[in-house]
Amino acid sequence: MCGIAGYLDKRTPNAPLGQTMLVMLNSLGQRGPDSAGMALFGPANPFGEVCLIKLPERQDPDAAERRLTERLQGLATVSERRRIGDVVRLVVDRSAGVRDFCSAIERRDDGFEVLSLGRSIELSKQVGEPGNLDRTFDVSAFRGSHGIGHTRLSTESKVDLSHSQPFWARGIPDLATVHNGHITNYDRLRRIYEQRGLRFFSENDSEVIAVYLADQLDKGLSLGDAVAQSLDDFDGSFSYLVATPSEFGYARDPFALKPMIIVETPDYVAVANEEIAIRSALGPAGVAREPSGHVYRLWKVGSEVADAAA
Amino acid sequence: MPPLETLTIDCQDQPIRAINAAIRDALDAGTSVTVVNPGARHNIGVGMVTPGDMTVAGSVGYYCGGMTDGVRIQVRGSAGWGLAEGMLSGTVVVDGNAGNGAAASIRGGTVVIRGDCAARAGVSMKGGLLLIGGDVGYMTGFMMQKGAIVICGSAGDALADSMYEGVIFVGGEIASLGNDAVIEAPTGEDDRMLDAAFAEYGIPRPGRLRKIVSGRKLWNFQHEEIETWRQAL
Repeated sequence: MCGIAGYLDKRTPNAPLGQTMLVMLNSLGQRGPDSAGMALFGPANPFGEVCLIKLPERQDPDAAERRLTERLQGLATVSERRRIGDVVRLVVDRSAGVRDFCSAIERRDDGFEVLSLGRSIELSKQVGEPGNLDRTFDVSAFRGSHGIGHTRLSTESKVDLSHSQPFWARGIPDLATVHNGHITNYDRLRRIYEQRGLRFFSENDSEVIAVYLADQLDKGLSLGDAVAQSLDDFDGSFSYLVATPSEFGYARDPFALKPMIIVETPDYVAVANEEIAIRSALGPAGVAREPSGHVYRLWKVGSEVADAAA
Repeated sequence: MPPLETLTIDCQDQPIRAINAAIRDALDAGTSVTVVNPGARHNIGVGMVTPGDMTVAGSVGYYCGGMTDGVRIQVRGSAGWGLAEGMLSGTVVVDGNAGNGAAASIRGGTVVIRGDCAARAGVSMKGGLLLIGGDVGYMTGFMMQKGAIVICGSAGDALADSMYEGVIFVGGEIASLGNDAVIEAPTGEDDRMLDAAFAEYGIPRPGRLRKIVSGRKLWNFQHEEIETWRQAL
């Protein structure tokens, strides 16, 4: 059991998003307190891409950060740098491609991991209950238009930062996903991707959703087509949420095995495993609805973006 | 002192055991209950066995009205998974929509959902009536054994899969029938039951209702139908 929650404000790109998401995740905390995280979307950072990098465990973090600085030489100019818990948050202006950038930082098995990258995405995650996220990352101060979040009950893989959600879709800036369920053809999919040289950083089956979506987008599919195709390509139980700066939505397995409740009003869309999350954060407005299985839906974020896409 | 006619129970900051104890005490005293600020909490009104009235002013989470016997429950919102699961008798009426497994395994009574149901509504029903004003999702009526499901809207895939007995009526489209589900003509007795149910809960009767029952081919194993068995299992 994991908790997933998502929120899209239709009125403003400046909604108290972090606060709303925090209340939603806190009320889903009973579904799993192992780790928690959010991917929040706000206005594009004017100075570059926000990049969250995990430092190697059980090593002197200052030394690790110095090594990171060396690796960044020639890859990107850094305009902002802050250490938050076990991670370093940078604002970078990349000169290398995304995958080259990542693989130059993430050398084989030495513990560095790019957790997220993008101009609009602010990703935070850590071991422990959702309340801790605010203490470490000050998420409740974040204002933005939409976000997705996760609270984890680990069932088949270990509890650490690399196994926590959301997962960034490595290779595609600003795309993240959270998942509740089990992808039972994970091993087969992972083998296929690894044979093609893609790297996994955890043994969490949910990671494959992010890898899959990045791969489909690399092939030229739209996010909507990729999510639609995933309903048939994944086996097992899944309710997952996905977000980019311009789109926000959900997908659900053919058997509707994991809960997924939606409340849509003229002002917002809220999605969560349990309606309790939506009511605690947003009150009684709107009628809750649970779709059946083999369904997905994406909403366009903001009318300007929707017009640009059309 | 005579009992109050209606007691209001506020769920705010109350553990669910305290809420349910208050509901139980009120029903035992012959008092109707209004539950406010339910906040879609789970297990509201589970296990109530003294007949009486309970209104919930908002949405409920999982298992609302489960294992009840003779209680009349109104939910002025939506319901989560397992609404009225295992109910023996009584009524549960939901103004909004219901999540997976509404009226699962009920043995009697009536469950009304004015909106839509997600997957597996009426799974393994052993009696009673499930009346749905809107659409239903995947595998509605799966392994149903007795009772009736009435769906005014459309039904998702695998409707009535592997049902043993009982009857399902559908007003809208059927995405697909499940294994061993067959359509047959409604009888005059069916019509009377349907008219009474629609009238009692103020739901307009659809112009056409198709009746689905068990083909009874899965009751006994037959080797020549091995493909059906492979599908069903």
